[in-house]
Amino acid sequence: MPIVVNLDVMMAKRKMSLNELSEKVGLTLSNLSILKTGKARAIRFNTLEAICVALDCQPGDLLEYAE
Amino acid sequence: MRNHYSNYPSMKTRTEQILVVMNVLSWVVFVGLLIKAGAILLSYSVSLFNPEAAANLYKGLDLSSLRRDNLWPYTMVVSWMVSLLGMKAYTAFVVTKILSKINLANPFTMEIALLIEKVSYLIAATWLVAFLSVSNTGWLHRRGMDWRADTDAPEFLFLAGIIFIISQIFKRGIEIQTDNELTI
Repeated sequence: MPIVVNLDVMMAKRKMSLNELSEKVGLTLSNLSILKTGKARAIRFNTLEAICVALDCQPGDLLEYAE
Repeated sequence: MRNHYSNYPSMKTRTEQILVVMNVLSWVVFVGLLIKAGAILLSYSVSLFNPEAAANLYKGLDLSSLRRDNLWPYTMVVSWMVSLLGMKAYTAFVVTKILSKINLANPFTMEIALLIEKVSYLIAATWLVAFLSVSNTGWLHRRGMDWRADTDAPEFLFLAGIIFIISQIFKRGIEIQTDNELTI
């Protein structure tokens, strides 16, 4: 899929672990892992919002279109 | 307060019971067809040495005149019968596999979809065997043989088509389920 999820990059920039993000966002570790590894087929706006709040970033920092 | 979900556990149990009964019935059909095919094969083997046995191959099935005339067409007719029974038995076996593997908590799996699709192909193949059997025995009949298969069962093809459509809808359901599971 040409949409790349840069969650791991943002987590590294904010020095946040997956466990910490999971607690802040309210997602399970397995769902976060699906998102992080690019296996997700879709992301809900409220999930995106929660991640942006937790990582203090914009959706564009998390998602990238690459051909 | 009673809501529309209150009936769910009893409905589920009823569905499970229906599937268990259908599983038992499929096994009965599978074993019955195997017994029938086995009995015909056994009688056929006996009739090779004792032509009188062809008078009652299975429950009054009389191919004695065919056996007397020529062994080769007789063998062909028996082969078609046994092939048809074998196809039906294998279809019943795949149905028992579906019914024993299906898990009502999570019924939409690719394994079940592929097995349903396989059933549709098997039924289509059964129709093909029936069709070839009728064509072949019709040809033998025209050449003066005294027996012909009575039906090419076009309903097999119709049934195969319906089951194939159901399997495709089932597959689409699995794709939607996977999409839902992978929506975070």
